[in-house]
Amino acid sequence: MEQSLAVIGSHLFLVFGLLALGGAATMVFARSAVHSVVGFLFCMLALASCYLCLGAEFLATAQILVYAGGIVVLFLFVVMIVELSKYKEQTRFQLHTPWAVGLVVAGAAAFIAVFWQTYFSPSAPQALTLDPTLAQGLDVANQNAQAISRGLYADFLLPFEILSVILLVALVGAVVLAKAERT
Amino acid sequence: MPSMNSVLLISFLLFSIGVVGVLIRRNALIILMCAELMLNAANLNLIAFARHSGTVHGQAFALLVMGLAAAEVAVGLALVVALYRKKSTIQVDELDLLKG
Repeated sequence: MEQSLAVIGSHLFLVFGLLALGGAATMVFARSAVHSVVGFLFCMLALASCYLCLGAEFLATAQILVYAGGIVVLFLFVVMIVELSKYKEQTRFQLHTPWAVGLVVAGAAAFIAVFWQTYFSPSAPQALTLDPTLAQGLDVANQNAQAISRGLYADFLLPFEILSVILLVALVGAVVLAKAERT
Repeated sequence: MPSMNSVLLISFLLFSIGVVGVLIRRNALIILMCAELMLNAANLNLIAFARHSGTVHGQAFALLVMGLAAAEVAVGLALVVALYRKKSTIQVDELDLLKG
């Protein structure tokens, strides 16, 4: 039972990961901005499911709340404010920076080479595994939020406070930037 | 449990889709979304390594990154709206205010 659950979990992760990749590709290559935002929403929901498969229940919930609930709505609002018909892109993509594309391709090739090496070469180092027994501290599955809060408020207290200041500054900055100019 | 390799591969692919989007799209909104996508790919890695190491620190840090992403989006979208007011466009290659 446990074994089959673990197998199902890993397959589910792959399924949701591929869905997230599909959403991301839709986001980048869609013609209209609204379709891009919908692809983004899809990607974020699939990623939340991935977090769930990795045993991060609280983060999955937070992902849905923050992204699907907040950020996507903000993006849709801005798409609404900015007149869509006005920015018909003559050429959607700017491929006239071949060095940039080449750089990305080179980086991807380097990563894939490393990945290939660790996976398939005869002297492959021991691949990292997600050992369930190691995750005892996290495996308080029904107390995931409790465990996170302990980490957040005990060990990451200073970053947490700094983040709250950053949020405040961003709030004020967004209001100032988006305010209509007084003439 | 999914294997670490599959998690790393998916997060790498997500990140590279984000980079490609930033480089080839010229719509400021979509560039902003791609930046979000890259932050999320990093988050996926943080959570996977938290799972691997059996501590909760990775997850707590991913939560901090999520809050930072929200702040970034607020400021970025305000910038986009302000740009649209000033220049009536959000195509990044039409914005050449710094050109002398």
